Amino acid sequence: MKIGKLITTALLGFMFFLFIGLDLVLFGVIPLNSVVVTIMPIIGLVLGAALVVVASRKQGSAVNTAPPAA
Amino acid sequence: MKTIRWVTAGLLFGAVMVGSGSPAAAQLEGECSGSGVWKDSDLAVDAESVGDELVTIPRKDTVDWQGSVSGPPGEYSGSIWIELPPPFGKVEIDNWGGTSDNNNNAGSEDYDLPKLVPAGVEFKVVGEHTDSNGHCEGYVRLEIEGGAFDSPIIWGALVLTALTGGPLALLLIAMVKSAVGAGIGGAR
Repeated sequence: MKIGKLITTALLGFMFFLFIGLDLVLFGVIPLNSVVVTIMPIIGLVLGAALVVVASRKQGSAVNTAPPAA
Repeated sequence: MKTIRWVTAGLLFGAVMVGSGSPAAAQLEGECSGSGVWKDSDLAVDAESVGDELVTIPRKDTVDWQGSVSGPPGEYSGSIWIELPPPFGKVEIDNWGGTSDNNNNAGSEDYDLPKLVPAGVEFKVVGEHTDSNGHCEGYVRLEIEGGAFDSPIIWGALVLTALTGGPLALLLIAMVKSAVGAGIGGAR
């Protein structure tokens, strides 16, 4: 697993969910002082990192299960 | 910010600048009272009766406000702020302090909120006032009349959402494709 990719994707997730939270506020779905605004970026950070971890594991298992070359 | 200052000052503890006491809208605890009337929109808000109701105010109007405390305030102080999501705390709009024997105050204030202030967003404006009569505090849930697209801020927010969501979506798609590819490869 590449650490750089992990950090980049986690940060992207953080920013994406931060802006989703901002959109929710601006559309009046949640109030400005809602704790959801705080939680959303943290969820994004975790999801972004998890995405890379899952992707790298899938790649790893695909390599391990690949049949040996004849 | 002048408008917000007025709305809150007028709404919550308004008159404090001149004498004391203030009015305001919303949940209110303590020895004080207050109210405001929006001239153009016929909106009237009384601090004691509005409760937890969300008050929708026009972007531009003139408000007649009044407020009082139970007796001559003597030395007084207070402030008004907008609550932000935790852990960001608050943004103070105004504060006051001094000495006075006047236990009520009233006034009229024009305000015109700039377009950048988003409409339809719920703000919690909180205020407190302390004088020789005791402590008074309260809050009002406010939103500006209109929709999300009344402010240009929404476009910036949507563009930034797309710019950050796009790469994530691409990554997710690539991951799904590789998983599907690996599944097909493994099935052979």
